[in-house]
Amino acid sequence: MNLAGTHTTCSSKMLENYVSPFTATCVERTIAAGGIPLGKLNMDEFAFGSSTETSAFGPTRNPWDVTCVPGGSSGGSAAAVAAGLATVTLGSDTGGSIRQPGSFCGTVAVKPTYGVVSRYGVVAFGSSLDQVGPFARSVEDAALAMNAIAGRDVLDCTSQDVGTDFTANLAEGVRGMRIGVVPAFMEAKGLTPEVKAKVEEAAEHLRALGAELVEVELPNAQAAMSAYYVLGPCEAFSNLARFDSVRYGYCDPGHTDLNSQYEASRAVGFGPETRRRVMLGSYLLSAGVYDRYYYPAQQVRTLITQDYARAYEQVDCILAPVSPRTSFKFGEVSDPTDMYLSDMFTISINIAGNGGMSLPVGLGADTHLPVGVQLISPAFKDENMFRAAAALETVYGTAPVAPAFADGKAGE
Amino acid sequence: MRKLEEVLQDWEAVIGLEIHAELTTLDTKMFCGCKLEFGAEPNTHTCPVCLGMPGALPVPNRAAIESIVLAGLATNCDIEKHSMFYRKTYMYPDMSKNYQTTQGPVAFCMRGHLDLDVDGAAAKERADLDGLAVGESRGNVTRTTDGYTAHVGITRIHMEEDAGKMVHIGGGEGRIAGATHSLVDYNRAGTPLTELVTEPDLRTPEEARLFMQKLRQIYLALGISDCSMEEGSMRCDGNVSLRRRGAKEFGVKTELKNMNSFKNLHDGLAYEICRQAEVLEEGGQIFQETRHWDPSKKRTIVMRVKETADDYRLFPDPDLAPYDLTDEWIESVRAKLPELPDQKAARFEDAFGLTPYDARHLVEHRETADFFEACMELAGDEAAKLAKPVANLVINDVTAYLNAQDGVKLADTALTPARALGLVKLVAADAISSKQGKVVFAAILDEDKDPDAIVAERGMEQVSDTGAIEAVVDAVLAANPDKVAQYQGGKTGLIGFFVGQCMKEMRGQGNPKLINELLAKKLG
Repeated sequence: MNLAGTHTTCSSKMLENYVSPFTATCVERTIAAGGIPLGKLNMDEFAFGSSTETSAFGPTRNPWDVTCVPGGSSGGSAAAVAAGLATVTLGSDTGGSIRQPGSFCGTVAVKPTYGVVSRYGVVAFGSSLDQVGPFARSVEDAALAMNAIAGRDVLDCTSQDVGTDFTANLAEGVRGMRIGVVPAFMEAKGLTPEVKAKVEEAAEHLRALGAELVEVELPNAQAAMSAYYVLGPCEAFSNLARFDSVRYGYCDPGHTDLNSQYEASRAVGFGPETRRRVMLGSYLLSAGVYDRYYYPAQQVRTLITQDYARAYEQVDCILAPVSPRTSFKFGEVSDPTDMYLSDMFTISINIAGNGGMSLPVGLGADTHLPVGVQLISPAFKDENMFRAAAALETVYGTAPVAPAFADGKAGE
Repeated sequence: MRKLEEVLQDWEAVIGLEIHAELTTLDTKMFCGCKLEFGAEPNTHTCPVCLGMPGALPVPNRAAIESIVLAGLATNCDIEKHSMFYRKTYMYPDMSKNYQTTQGPVAFCMRGHLDLDVDGAAAKERADLDGLAVGESRGNVTRTTDGYTAHVGITRIHMEEDAGKMVHIGGGEGRIAGATHSLVDYNRAGTPLTELVTEPDLRTPEEARLFMQKLRQIYLALGISDCSMEEGSMRCDGNVSLRRRGAKEFGVKTELKNMNSFKNLHDGLAYEICRQAEVLEEGGQIFQETRHWDPSKKRTIVMRVKETADDYRLFPDPDLAPYDLTDEWIESVRAKLPELPDQKAARFEDAFGLTPYDARHLVEHRETADFFEACMELAGDEAAKLAKPVANLVINDVTAYLNAQDGVKLADTALTPARALGLVKLVAADAISSKQGKVVFAAILDEDKDPDAIVAERGMEQVSDTGAIEAVVDAVLAANPDKVAQYQGGKTGLIGFFVGQCMKEMRGQGNPKLINELLAKKLG
């Protein structure tokens, strides 16, 4: 996120020395609302990852267990709140990059409906999927942050006026709310028993608080991952084309022709995961291939959006897991496709464009690491998930600072 | 190489044009608020958006979309209500994002056409009109009394953004070959740019030139661009291929660039047609390639060979929502259409009895058309009578003067509609001869004086007094009895000698018409 006069590196060697000439709308609005920028936080390089391990400047550690990853890509933002270093942080979420680290670090983490928060000044990964949102230790703090950053921005023509006070219905409770549960999500391969148990426990609490639980089907949601790994890399390939060493960014020295300067600067400036996504996008958009991948992926996107629209005819909000598991050790997940599975419950929400948030519900029975549950709103009804989250928070309490950092300790 | 006219007897040239026009009359760029200004200090009209800084986002310029819809309506296009912007990938430093924001398969304007009136010498390049009677059609062509009309299809007009400007330092003539480094000026980057693509309906370089001229007149009338071919705000690329007369299959085409004037457009295409014919006639092969027209060497040279189609990885721009135009909005734009050159020409024919030729040439430039109309207004009741001589003055003398002055605006010269009309009236009333008229025309422009004053100062009033002229005629005939005898013996060409002698006597002020009449009568 650009803040004029500060380094905006996207955790990439490509932008190691890049200083922002302007400020992102979400940052400007946070400052205008009285926020004080404390600093920039670590992330996976250009947001490509789920653990901060792809950062060119080294990973962030999880405050709950420093041998574990904080999640990602916005891992630094989640860790900073979990460690009590900041009251509110901002991150961006393209497939789960706010919600998954929120779940891993035990913080409230919000990915609003696409269009609620301006993307102007936020370095783009997947322009049709990216959305900015806050991390906080309470639902109310997150709602206050949303009040500050949400709304139409003339500099982002995909942003919209929302006119919502996100704090308005936090005290209303869930009596009368219909909350959906997706059986296919709960039976998904890879969902660990401790996370599944936590989601079921949260469902029971919601029922006890007066909500009606309704089973809903999202028949095409299992195709979300495939569509995402077509659309995301295509947009990323295009968005990252500007990092060419000409106007700014890493420029490999000593080249006498343009193409070799381009190639070497991008080969050195981009890390392996970034290069992988750029190559994938370049291939998927190429002539002859486009029709077989990009176009069907857009059709899948329409089907998933329709699935959610149908589900929201029956319910006001959906309860789901955030990540299939709790945080893992550094280096534990080395196969990129296994890493991609971290987002299996979050990606379809970016594909459909509606809002989702992670709410901390305590520690997993087996790993004793934080678990988050996901509340998912219809598009532009983000207040629904805030209302359900606030009700659950009355049961679980606001998110604690990670014990090693509590009471002024610094994680020793 | 053979001459174009000969080549076109044997070969049919198939020409399509791609015409870019910058919307220079707008205040700001296509996707950001930067000012549009030609010739400013390099990189002074830039911002994070047009520099492609990380995190910057485009916001479309509504006025630009209104301009392109005007262009589409004026060229008989269908206006597409639902269209999108796409990203066209190409890595080059003049395109800051390394993709150009343009339109995809559906452009704002689709399926239009223009009808070209081709007459006089321009019509002679067309070799396949034999046996076609006036009013009869063949293919896209209809015979007219002084040439033909060609119906030229327009595939589309789409909206895109212009690139920045590269300057290569250290090589010859600013070329990249041999350059030590290159500079980029992003002032032009993001300038709203329209691209019109024609169907391959053009058959001669003249048709291509006329199409470009007609389009330029329309854009100027719409006020959407200054259409400066020199400064590059209007640019034209040509695609040309040959096929044997009567053949159905298209030949291999080449793409021609750097045709930055009407003359270069014509001459570049003419050269390329002749070159291709020569290659084919010698049993050679045309390669699909981009060629550069070099007007100084009068030839085209290869810029690059296209072995495969470029892969631009075109896909919908996720930063820009699909554009939906309503019928009401389109109609509100249609209501803003000004009188177009064809409509103006038709009105001139109707109102002033001008020939189609005169009317068409008057409306070629807005300033000459406006000037003519101002003269007609001042002429009042005499408008119909004076229309033809005023039109002649404007089409011939004024146009020639402006062409010679290069860039001078008619409004900035000493020639006002009142002075032009005054001059035409003097000639029409036989107060001065048409030859003297040319002198007065030049004097108005040089000395900034009224025509009456110039005539008075120079004592130019034409003598139309029959008595005075008769006396001179008699004296000349009396002084040259031998010539009179020769004339009467059949050497009638001597009439010029007698007229000249009379004019000399009268210091050029005798009415030539009366002198001729009297001489004819007396020499009988």
